Amino acid sequence: MKLTSLKAFEEWQALLSEREKGASGVRRVRICAGTGCLANGSAQVKAAFEAEAIRHGLSIPLEFAAESTGCHGFCERGPLVVIQPGEIFYEKVKPEDVREIFEKTVLRGEVVPRLQYRDPNTKQAARTSAEIPFYARQHRLVLNRCGEVDPFEIEAAVSRGAYRGLARAFSMEPERIVSMIKDSGLRGRGGGGFPTGVKWESARKAPGRHRFVLANGDEGDPGAFMDRSLMEGDPHSVLEGMIIGAYAVGARKGFIYVRAEYPLAVKALQQAIRQAKERGLLGRDILGTGFDFDLEICRGGGAFVCGESTALMASIEGRAGEPRVKYIRSTERGLWNCPTVLNNVETWANVPHIVLNGPEWFRSMGTEKSPGTKIFSLVGKVKNSGLVEIPMGTTLRTMIEDIGGGVLKNRAFKAVQTGGPSGGCLPADALDLPVDFDALTASGSMMGSGGMIVMDERTCMVDVARYFVDFLAEESCGKCTPCREGLKALQRLLHKLCSGRGEAGDGERLREIGSALADTALCGLGQTAPNPVLSVLRYFPGEIAEHEAEHFCRAGVCKGMYWPRIDPAKCVGCGACKKACAAGAIRGEPRAAHAIDRAHCVTCGACLEACPFSAITAVRREDPE
Amino acid sequence: MIEITIDEKKVFVETGTTVLEAARSAGIEIPTLCAHEGLVREGNCRLCSVEVTERGKTKLVMSCMYPVTREGLEVRTDTDRVRSARRFVLQMLADRNPKAPVLQALCSQYGVVPNVPENVEPELCIRCGRCVRACETNGTSALSFAGRGWDREVTPPFHEAPGDCVGCLSCAEVCPTGRITWEEKEGKRSIWGRTFDLVVCERCHEAYATAEQLRHAGSDPETARLCPRCRKMAQQERIRLGTRGA
Repeated sequence: MKLTSLKAFEEWQALLSEREKGASGVRRVRICAGTGCLANGSAQVKAAFEAEAIRHGLSIPLEFAAESTGCHGFCERGPLVVIQPGEIFYEKVKPEDVREIFEKTVLRGEVVPRLQYRDPNTKQAARTSAEIPFYARQHRLVLNRCGEVDPFEIEAAVSRGAYRGLARAFSMEPERIVSMIKDSGLRGRGGGGFPTGVKWESARKAPGRHRFVLANGDEGDPGAFMDRSLMEGDPHSVLEGMIIGAYAVGARKGFIYVRAEYPLAVKALQQAIRQAKERGLLGRDILGTGFDFDLEICRGGGAFVCGESTALMASIEGRAGEPRVKYIRSTERGLWNCPTVLNNVETWANVPHIVLNGPEWFRSMGTEKSPGTKIFSLVGKVKNSGLVEIPMGTTLRTMIEDIGGGVLKNRAFKAVQTGGPSGGCLPADALDLPVDFDALTASGSMMGSGGMIVMDERTCMVDVARYFVDFLAEESCGKCTPCREGLKALQRLLHKLCSGRGEAGDGERLREIGSALADTALCGLGQTAPNPVLSVLRYFPGEIAEHEAEHFCRAGVCKGMYWPRIDPAKCVGCGACKKACAAGAIRGEPRAAHAIDRAHCVTCGACLEACPFSAITAVRREDPE
Repeated sequence: MIEITIDEKKVFVETGTTVLEAARSAGIEIPTLCAHEGLVREGNCRLCSVEVTERGKTKLVMSCMYPVTREGLEVRTDTDRVRSARRFVLQMLADRNPKAPVLQALCSQYGVVPNVPENVEPELCIRCGRCVRACETNGTSALSFAGRGWDREVTPPFHEAPGDCVGCLSCAEVCPTGRITWEEKEGKRSIWGRTFDLVVCERCHEAYATAEQLRHAGSDPETARLCPRCRKMAQQERIRLGTRGA
């Protein structure tokens, strides 16, 4: 049924909310169907719940409903299941657990302790997600429906408030919306942090018959999945933001650029667009207001550089995805040389909330210069990894120690990499840094799209720089000299340092090339590409110097640049290292201190990784056995 | 016309003129590689950097693309930052293309010594893309870039002899390093793995074009008997003699 007036929408929305409230007595199971949980078998878990309901003679959906939702965020513990009433939270649920859950929890309200989350430090079990520190410290604003509703059902989203912001926007003049976004201080969530309202205003004022709004969903940073989870879990929030934006700047056509490697996100968005059109929320004469706006999905071909604004536009235009020199802003001459607003999907998803609650409300969260919240994907050597939404200004320490639960295996924290390949590595000293656009940039890293990779003492910082430079050298389009040749030069130096061929002056050369590259490259990819190298030079100069002058890797990562040594005082003779050693280089009797035979050791590092007592350390090649 | 300063010299230019053209009109030299007067600008070689100060902010920009839009723009073409940016770009290009004469000249001017890394085969292509743009401008598009990053290269599609090539030599003409070579013998021209018949001018006997080139330009190689220069001369003679006809 197509809604042809704002009033019709409001009635529909009220009806759906009412129905939702009326159904609060229904026993429900929310099963995460994000990419991670699906891969872990959550679809089978859902089927098992439905089979149990039928076996117990419960009618679906009047008495029992099993709903697949978007990402709950705690991906590492998937598949995740939440049972209503009671909001009881279970992790790592397998189809064979379902019968027990159904009989105990769904029917009788009892918990199954073995499926509960236990705090890795206190071993305390959590009954609901709110009791888990990973969730308790979060502020889920943009992700408020993600994990709560079925992303493939528009009615589920609308019953939880979707498109209310749009309805409100239609009661305002477009200029008023632009100034609201400007006043809110919303900044681009894709990494640049450019004020969104300023962008909108400039596009609105730019002369031109056609205008476009674009969503950047070409998330490509290693370890990042914020945008994917949002598109998969709550596609309507992105659509709603874009429709409001189009109305505000006067665009009648928009594109969502999604990488082709995100098939579930594409499917969810396609379904959302179809359902929004059926309801008259998209297409011609939206909600009878006379405003026309159409949205199309454009799938990227897998080039990292297409996340760069001009390359993304070239790709939509059907040309090779290469950036172009932009001394004239995209808001004046963007897609097909028309005024264009390009925002990250997370930025768009913030818009409805601001329109609905006002700029002052938005400014009440986060910091003065970076208001609101930000979604991060917290990964790496951290106990609780997953999707995290926090108010800007939260410290790195809160993120890693409280939400993340600290470093895995209780090893020492060494660095946190923020902002993906364009960001940098920050040391332990920086843990009290508030996470916002300006603080991160000033520290030599960057917000980026929100990847956050935690590294422990077993991480070699030179090797990390090498990894990111390898990634970028592979992804550089090669159009401009500095990025094409400069990244290769950085890559050569880093490979040299990581293979024990370092020479005096290599570190200095890295610095020279890195800063020149940042100054001269054509696009954002090249200009920020040296950040991982420059931040390692800034915060971990000792490790660079050791690789350069002593050919020593203290983390025990770079092959042939250390010897593993077992401290007999710490070794309990558990044999874990001996079992892990593929070269047969470790000798020792059970319950007696073990030793490493250097003649057979290939410095693969497996023993360092395997030892549960931190009894094995990396020592210099010239050190005694 | 608006007034700007380039290296403390006052220069008057039309709005939209690039800083490079503005500087050249004032007799200030800025080195370029990928820019060519007959081609669309791309700004990819990054050699023509200058520092501009606008509304109190100073930044490094590429003069070949940066438009003059505001009165009072200050341009500096010879600061430390500019020199070191140019030296970096030259070093990066010369390390891979140490034998390109145009780079050798610039390197000696900027004091850069090429240093070819281990396992790198010296080349002559600096990936400026002038050939690609020239071919596109001609409407033939027989060449393009393939691969990305360090492996980016100029090539006809699939590394095969390009069916769309007309042997016009525009690519070789605009190539700044001499990478693109061709051969002419026994009335034939070979380039990019293709061989073309040359059309000889009846008057000066110079092989002035390939048959495909003339066809691409819309004329018939059978009837195009004179080269452009001789055709002009013949026209002049006709005017002088007051005769009409071929």
